Amino acid sequence: MHSGNFKLAFKTLRSSKWQSTLTMFGIIIGIVSVITTVSLGEGIKHQVLGEINHLGSDLITVRAGRGVVRDDSGAIIKINPEFMYGFGSGSLSDQDVAIIQGSKLIKESSPIRLYSGSAKVENREYPDGFIIGSSPALPNLLQQKVEFGNYFSEAEDNRLVAVIGKRVAEQLFRENIPVGQTFSLRGQDFIVRGVFEEFKPGLLGQGIDLNKAIFVPNASIKEVVGTAAPVVRVLARPKSVAESNNAAIAISKELRASHGGQNDITVLRQSENFEVTGGVLDILTAFIAAIAGISLLVGGIGIMNIMLVSVSERTYEIGIRKAVGATNRQIRSQFMAEAIMLSAVGGILGISISFALNFIIRVLTNLSPIITWPVVAIAFGVAFGVGVVFGTIPAVKAARKDPIDALRIGH
Amino acid sequence: MPLISIKDVSKLYGFGDATTVALDEVNLDVEAGEFVAIMGPSGSGKSTLMNIIGLLDRPTHGGYSLSNRSVEKLRPNQRAKMRRDKIGYVFQSFNLLPKLTVIENVSLPLLYKGVSSVKRLRRAADVLDRVGLSDRQYFMPKALSGGQIQRVAIARALVSDPQIIIADEPTGNLDSTASLIIMELLSELHRTGNTILMVTHNPELTRYADRVVYMHDGSIVHDQRTPLGEVPAMAKKAMYLFPRKSEEDDLIGVSTMMNFRPEKADPKPKKRRSSKSTKKPRSTTRRKKVPHA
Repeated sequence: MHSGNFKLAFKTLRSSKWQSTLTMFGIIIGIVSVITTVSLGEGIKHQVLGEINHLGSDLITVRAGRGVVRDDSGAIIKINPEFMYGFGSGSLSDQDVAIIQGSKLIKESSPIRLYSGSAKVENREYPDGFIIGSSPALPNLLQQKVEFGNYFSEAEDNRLVAVIGKRVAEQLFRENIPVGQTFSLRGQDFIVRGVFEEFKPGLLGQGIDLNKAIFVPNASIKEVVGTAAPVVRVLARPKSVAESNNAAIAISKELRASHGGQNDITVLRQSENFEVTGGVLDILTAFIAAIAGISLLVGGIGIMNIMLVSVSERTYEIGIRKAVGATNRQIRSQFMAEAIMLSAVGGILGISISFALNFIIRVLTNLSPIITWPVVAIAFGVAFGVGVVFGTIPAVKAARKDPIDALRIGH
Repeated sequence: MPLISIKDVSKLYGFGDATTVALDEVNLDVEAGEFVAIMGPSGSGKSTLMNIIGLLDRPTHGGYSLSNRSVEKLRPNQRAKMRRDKIGYVFQSFNLLPKLTVIENVSLPLLYKGVSSVKRLRRAADVLDRVGLSDRQYFMPKALSGGQIQRVAIARALVSDPQIIIADEPTGNLDSTASLIIMELLSELHRTGNTILMVTHNPELTRYADRVVYMHDGSIVHDQRTPLGEVPAMAKKAMYLFPRKSEEDDLIGVSTMMNFRPEKADPKPKKRRSSKSTKKPRSTTRRKKVPHA
């Protein structure tokens, strides 16, 4: 296959611009969808990694349900994705909270009590929001500052006070610093005494935006709504970073003992949390990328179709070329060159468009997709391979044409 | 040994009851340097014979040796290489690639020979000069007249310096002036030592040949050496000597059958497709419209 073939292929493809462009679209769309989905997944993973660093690697999260399966040494061998998304299902009992709080290696901890009812201000409701009951340790555990005012203390556990996220301030109270204002929850008035700094997205789990949350003392929410506010998490921090692993094991053991040996509580260190979330995301990304990959295949079939049309359209040309001495191999190379050129140019355009789309997504949304080179290489490789594979059949067909028939039928 | 030696070559199409015989055990020897004109009515197997000699087609039976090499059993690739190196084609319908320029068309055989681009273009330019078209190198074929296109086709046939030039009705689509130029060109090639095989319907053109072969119903019925410049008496008669079939005959045939007049019935058993030609016998080769006659 010499360079003349590619020159010739370029000329031929240029002379039927529309056909070539539309054919390449198949490959382009395939490449763009694969690269973009994978880069979005990669971007979300990266965000999660950022949160891990933000929360500190020693943070321990306890949640109900058997989210992971561990082997004897404590390493995670299996993840149950349905337990891990959002706040998850199931709740921890007060006893569990007390056990964690009382654990010797734990410095501070806080239950996360979730109430999804909405607060009212002057008959305005805030349906997007939710209410979280916590202990005073929460800002420390999340390493989140209260921007205005301050968080409630141990002594205020029974008081009807609240610290709110930024979105709540903007959308429910319609001002930036509604400190001193009140909202009502099941007929009880709570006083806002602080506003959190902007939370990063995805703290506590994917799909959770803490900027929409109202934080109230643990005891008071329990008193106001009762069992409607289950404990979905307990966050705990060990006395030292080095003890984080031991602390997690200790909590796990104590909880199991109190549950009669049942393994229905998940205790995750933050690094594991990342592993778990990352694992779930990887599965999701791979799944979507596989669907996107199908469009690459469709693109390849498009190439085959166009090449087959091209072969029968150009029977006459093939006849002449053979009459002047082209061998089967030379005819085959010429058509292969066209298929390869279509897929290669389509691949390069697809990659360029992916980068452009990546930029647009970053500008227009708060997602930050990350294009990694292996993904680009694999997508291009697959597109190229698809072109070669699907170009082969038409090329062989062209090469096998009988010159005399080709000359007779072709024009 | 003759350059081209054909022994008992037959070409059959179809099988069973539908078999038609395009060539019926033809024997033909052509020496190097001969200019052979082949005449005969439509469907007499001239083009089939040319395609077999030109290695475009292979015989059903029989032997063919080209410069002492038996070629009837060659693999397609070897045939392509023989075709490229030994044979130049000139077709009635010109058969240039419309998307390539004149010089690219001419240099096409060299491309498949693997000659470098510079050498290819230089050689093509030389040959185009020889056919008097050096000022049309970068024209597209559609911008040329029929006669010029046929000269380009001859240049393409010459570019790889073949021993044999096969011209299948080279002037069939041309007016008399253009035909004259083409024939002078072929004649000059003959003088410089090329072997030329030309299919023609025009008896006048046999004056350029030194041998005339008449075909009928897939057989060679007459083979005659003639001095250059003379039209053999046979050639003039050839068109009328052998019964032929046309659409008119078909129509008359139908009416005669209805009138029970057996003497007007078609004397020739039906072979291959009947030609569409009317008065003038024409090749079964489909022809292209001449862009600029």
